[in-house]
Amino acid sequence: MLAASSVEIRKVNKYYAKFQALKDVDLSIPPGKVTCLIGPSGSGKSTLLRCINFLEEYDSGEVLIDGSLIGYDTPGGRRMSGRKLRDMRRSIGMVFQQFNLWPHMTALQNVAEGLIRVRGMKKAEAEARAAEALKKVGLADKMANHPSRLSGGQQQRVAIARAIAMEPRLMLFDEPTSALDPELVGEVLNVMKALASEGITMVVVTHEMGFAAHVADQVAFMEKGELVGVDAPSGILHHPEDPRIQAFLKTYHERNSF
Amino acid sequence: MFSIPTFLDSFGPLFWAARYTLLISVLGIGLGLVIGALVCAAALSSVVWLRRIAGLWVSFLRGVPLLVQLLLFYYLLPVIGIDVPAIFAAVVTVGICASAYISEIWRGAINALPKGQTEAATAIGMAPPDIWTRIVLPQAITLSLPALINELILLVKASSLVSVVGILELTRASQAQAATTFRPLEVYLAAACIYLIINLCLAAFGRYLEHRMAV
Repeated sequence: MLAASSVEIRKVNKYYAKFQALKDVDLSIPPGKVTCLIGPSGSGKSTLLRCINFLEEYDSGEVLIDGSLIGYDTPGGRRMSGRKLRDMRRSIGMVFQQFNLWPHMTALQNVAEGLIRVRGMKKAEAEARAAEALKKVGLADKMANHPSRLSGGQQQRVAIARAIAMEPRLMLFDEPTSALDPELVGEVLNVMKALASEGITMVVVTHEMGFAAHVADQVAFMEKGELVGVDAPSGILHHPEDPRIQAFLKTYHERNSF
Repeated sequence: MFSIPTFLDSFGPLFWAARYTLLISVLGIGLGLVIGALVCAAALSSVVWLRRIAGLWVSFLRGVPLLVQLLLFYYLLPVIGIDVPAIFAAVVTVGICASAYISEIWRGAINALPKGQTEAATAIGMAPPDIWTRIVLPQAITLSLPALINELILLVKASSLVSVVGILELTRASQAQAATTFRPLEVYLAAACIYLIINLCLAAFGRYLEHRMAV
């Protein structure tokens, strides 16, 4: 079992000029559980996820990782120092929709880079650890490949290996399968399921309702920057009370049936 | 009639003059790369007045012909009491002029990198100096290679302009030789061949580098 973080989001607001992307969002993410964020495009799911590791700077409210505020020294106070922020980010892994692998490095180097630069490991030690992480995502035979020589699904698994090699206590997934061809989605979801069973805290922005239904411990629905509801998957996905969730699921089912 | 022996005989003295062409191009681009990196850093910095200076630098040097810059610099130095050889003035002017173009080439390459590249590094806690040296610059340099080789080739040809400050480089030497031999066609054709040889070599070197750095 890996150590797992909790995340507490309180009254978070985020503006892009006049446009309010997040409106007083409150959300508790318990340690060791999988939380899925669902909702229509532009509802603020990704923005909220990116506030958790402060890639996106929220304007007011609090985001607490294991009880400590990220991004600011005090609520509403000064920006925290770069060094402190980096220290907090070391235990938060992130996986992006577009993979964001570094194209000038092999799969192994992609995974080892953070271990060398951030954890200060020797190259040999880092590469051994990186090889282990790649084996875990089923890519032991692709370690010497550059990203351009890998399929989308393989690239995303390298990206997951890059994050888990750092031994994070919290993993953020930003639509990890949205850029993949349909036949490659399964391999990535399987790796995520395996990770979930290890007890690491996971927050997943996704359009994969099947994943949310079967793997999530709680599902949060967002629309127009608001958190409309949080519940167990069955509550949100099968017996939603809010009409906005009902409407979203109706469109989803219509689109996915034939 | 075109005289082949005259054409062939022209090569010896012209090759000798071409050393200035090469010297000015290579030192010019070397200086241009160093100053260009600094100007690019200024242009990308978060400090407003640094960005302003970089903007002025690029606007002036791209907006004024190199020929005028050479004359200005050459006649400016004695006025402010600096006595340097013409070749020095030429290299510095060419280098400064190249820096304006090179800084823009690099700025373009850096801005062309997807934002996700640095975000991925930031998210695992990498510090900015590591992000620059390990993620941004290796990719930006590879991306900028074709444009840099292009710039170097332009510079080799532009180096003919330094003849205005009295340097006997390839073009000036061929003019002199054409005047003494009364065989302009043979001499200029030989000069053209030498420029072509230099630039074909540069292009081949560029392709080799691109191939080696390709991912």
